[in-house]
Amino acid sequence: MGLLRERKPSSSPSSTSPCAQLRAAYYSCFNKWYSEKFVKGQWQKEECVAEWQKYRACLSEHLEDKHLSRFLEAEGLGDHDTAIKSDSAGSVDGEDNSVSH
Amino acid sequence: MVKAYKQEHVYKHPWEIVTSASWRKFADPENKRTLSHVLEVDTLNHKLDSELGKLYTTRAITIHAPGPWFVRKIVGQDICHCVESTVVDAQSKSMQLTTRNVSLQKFIEVEERIRYDPHPDDPARWTVCRQETSIRIKPLSALASMAEKVEQRCAERFLQNSVKGREVMERICKYLEAESRGIAF
Repeated sequence: MGLLRERKPSSSPSSTSPCAQLRAAYYSCFNKWYSEKFVKGQWQKEECVAEWQKYRACLSEHLEDKHLSRFLEAEGLGDHDTAIKSDSAGSVDGEDNSVSH
Repeated sequence: MVKAYKQEHVYKHPWEIVTSASWRKFADPENKRTLSHVLEVDTLNHKLDSELGKLYTTRAITIHAPGPWFVRKIVGQDICHCVESTVVDAQSKSMQLTTRNVSLQKFIEVEERIRYDPHPDDPARWTVCRQETSIRIKPLSALASMAEKVEQRCAERFLQNSVKGREVMERICKYLEAESRGIAF
């Protein structure tokens, strides 16, 4: 699919672009599972595990942004809400500006 | 200095279809042209509670948000990373999304909360979407002196994008419904 369709020149490739194919495979599996099983009451079994593992491995290799990679490392999802908030405490001070010209 | 906006929208599609569309909204390539401000969406983490039928997901959303020149000059970048946390309860049929920016937090904090529930008037066929957005310019940041202007600009952008977002949602709902009726696309 990707060969014939050119990216728009204005959209610059991001750090996770190398994972685009694995991501598409995971999303298509997830979307199918979500609409055909999960919302219909069949939530007992997790699916798309292989697709997720491959995609996640790629992400952990390519995700450069520190704000985001913390969420990848966080294994338990229970307190991801607080993880977002704690950012304002200033642990990653100053790096927002470092990308400026 | 907090600005908050509320919006409500009724989709004349069942909850199962609307929430499926919500997952596809940013990720389907054919919507990229309409929602061109969204550059990338990556799932960072997810957890399924297989007893209760709850799904927790964290996604990273990278947004291209070029502000007016005076903002760009101060902020120095026009890419913003947001983190979206979603909880879907398949048993009680609710989906809740919270999105916050994780970059540029020194200047601005934007939080968007969206809920999808079956519509009380016709729970099997309609879905109500409630959306709350709050925008807060950090009081001591370099943007504070022009907070009013920035907030206004932000709010306009949000409204424009939420209209586009609804169009995309409608489009996906229609094809999902066609698909579930067995019409091939």
